[in-house]
Amino acid sequence: MVKDINGLMGRRVSRRGLLKGGAALGAAGVFPAIITRRSFAADTPTLVNSIRSLSNPYHATWNKGGEAFAKSVGADYVTLVTEGNSEKGVSDIRAILAKTGGNVVINVDPNDAPDARPIVEAVKEAGGYVITQWNKPEDLHPWDFDPNYVAHISFSGVPYGKAMAEALFKAMGGKGGIVALGGIQSNIPAIERKAGLDQALAENPDIKLLDFQVANWSDTEALEKTNAWLTQFGDEIGGIWAANDGMGLAAVEALRADGRAGQVPVTGIDGIQLAVEAILAGEMAGTVAWDPYWQGGMGLSIGYHAATGAFDPAKEPKDHREFYGTGVIITADNAQDYYDSNIKAEPELDWNDIWGRVSGQIQY
Amino acid sequence: MTPSADAESPRASASPKSAMHRFRLASWAPVIVLVLLCAVIAVINPNFLSFGNFVRIAQAAMIPLVLGLGATFIILMGSIDLSVEGILTLSAVILSLLVLNGANGNDLGLLAIPLVLLVGAGVGFINGAVHVKLKVPSFMTTLGTWFIGVGVANALLGGTAVRINDKLVRALAISRDPLVGLPWGVWIAIFCFFVALVIQNYTRLGRYIYALGGGEDLAGLSGIRASRVRIMAFTLAGVFYAVGGILAAAQLGLGNSQIGLGRLFTTITAVVVGGTSLAGGSGSVQQTLVGVLVVVVLSNGMVLMGIPPSVQIGVQGLMIIAAVALSMDRKLVRIVK
Repeated sequence: MVKDINGLMGRRVSRRGLLKGGAALGAAGVFPAIITRRSFAADTPTLVNSIRSLSNPYHATWNKGGEAFAKSVGADYVTLVTEGNSEKGVSDIRAILAKTGGNVVINVDPNDAPDARPIVEAVKEAGGYVITQWNKPEDLHPWDFDPNYVAHISFSGVPYGKAMAEALFKAMGGKGGIVALGGIQSNIPAIERKAGLDQALAENPDIKLLDFQVANWSDTEALEKTNAWLTQFGDEIGGIWAANDGMGLAAVEALRADGRAGQVPVTGIDGIQLAVEAILAGEMAGTVAWDPYWQGGMGLSIGYHAATGAFDPAKEPKDHREFYGTGVIITADNAQDYYDSNIKAEPELDWNDIWGRVSGQIQY
Repeated sequence: MTPSADAESPRASASPKSAMHRFRLASWAPVIVLVLLCAVIAVINPNFLSFGNFVRIAQAAMIPLVLGLGATFIILMGSIDLSVEGILTLSAVILSLLVLNGANGNDLGLLAIPLVLLVGAGVGFINGAVHVKLKVPSFMTTLGTWFIGVGVANALLGGTAVRINDKLVRALAISRDPLVGLPWGVWIAIFCFFVALVIQNYTRLGRYIYALGGGEDLAGLSGIRASRVRIMAFTLAGVFYAVGGILAAAQLGLGNSQIGLGRLFTTITAVVVGGTSLAGGSGSVQQTLVGVLVVVVLSNGMVLMGIPPSVQIGVQGLMIIAAVALSMDRKLVRIVK
């Protein structure tokens, strides 16, 4: 092959040169990290979702919601992926601001809370519109950046951690021992969900928390911790509470290896497809769907309505600027309905109902 | 002395000096640590010694053991293999897509397993070939294939998880043999261990790997084709990681692109805690078995003893340093970088 190329170029190409060329080609292929769907139209704002990666079901669904909304208004749609790199996240957003001249609506799940500030400042300067979700510093408020910083959306883990604990206790018949799997210890959603569990435990003295372990959101760790518990507590375990679905499903697998899947109720949080299927199979007792499809589409819709003048962010009350969204609690009662309308079929949302899932202003 | 009769290897020639090496207290440190750990845990929680817990420890150890066996050969050569998670993830995802599953119409059943092993061997071969032919350090080559493996797995799945519905594949992790009552996956891991042991002790490849780790230029001068040995070793390691991927997918009942998360750390920890030197040339798959057991028993035991989660990760870190410090022969090491 090297020989052919030599002939083609009419000069000698060393192996090292060929390698360099190959590396350059590879780098060039990777470079356009900004995936454009179509060419940029002039008038309607470009819609942008900036998310962590497309490798987890949560953000993949988020992206689908964004696509669906963009299609509904006929706008150009761009997905930016941070891959867990804050700098890349911020600089990709700067690049898209420059490319569109600020005619843009950005719906961002900042990689880390501090990233929100440079993003919001850059968008304000360019005259675009931005919506942040989950992560932002406590002292960064949308009303300080009128009208460009339209809103911040988050979900409180406390009520849903509590709701799952209650669903679990109900499935256990109101008494017995439970074990609980937590997320990364310093992670805000993990802390909030655990706080919800603690509240439910305080209200249900007949339920005993045998042990709480941190499994760092990892399937593998959750499987190992549950295995050790099965040794330590055996039949004392009447239920398992997990801070997310991945860990909950791993606990189900540990129970299955022990011949007890379906006998010990398990709850998760996040509402991923496999968890809903496990509820249908009677192996999980509940989960909470944040509905990332809604987050990806409605975040853009709120920004789009602000950008096109449908409402003026500066005139909206504070509980429309910094609000908790509403999760969908799924148990055996409604799992089939949820499955049919959200997983089997593409969810149908009314993208104009922008404040429909506001459940209170965020409290710090 | 021929390089293949390396003085550092466990079954070395019986010269008095190497005999002394063999019975050094330090080289038994990992075994002593393992026995002490078991004793302490058993005193605090007698359930530790139950047959049920024995099975669970075996189940927790099967995947790290298979991965560790592959990594041992690479580390024995003085190289490093970071592609553990990449190959494992890719294998698990491909397996989940080939057998009866919740995402497509494939139903290859157990036929999928040899295909997945081939994929592992292929990626391992690429590791070795790029490393040797293009002279890219193994650290960078395998770092690259790690990301490529996870990336391809991502591309195949588009971010979702695929449930495995094939009963036979699931049975690998769940069903137990009728005699002893161990899950079949554990027997697969034990079988892999003996395969690795035979390769290490009774094949040319195994002996050449020691020779390369002891001194590559010497090995080269004695007529060993180092590049071929390296490529073969990386290919072999890839097959072991693929076995790990199959077991991981069977255990969790699904394939997703995060299935390998954290496996690399456990693997390298187990190999090093077992006493295999990162510098190459000394160590063995038997030591890796001990290392894997130390790591698994410790994490099982910390839950049994009720140690707070915040402390557990710190204890694991301390254990790594302690194990390496205990098993190192300081007389032989003048400079540490």
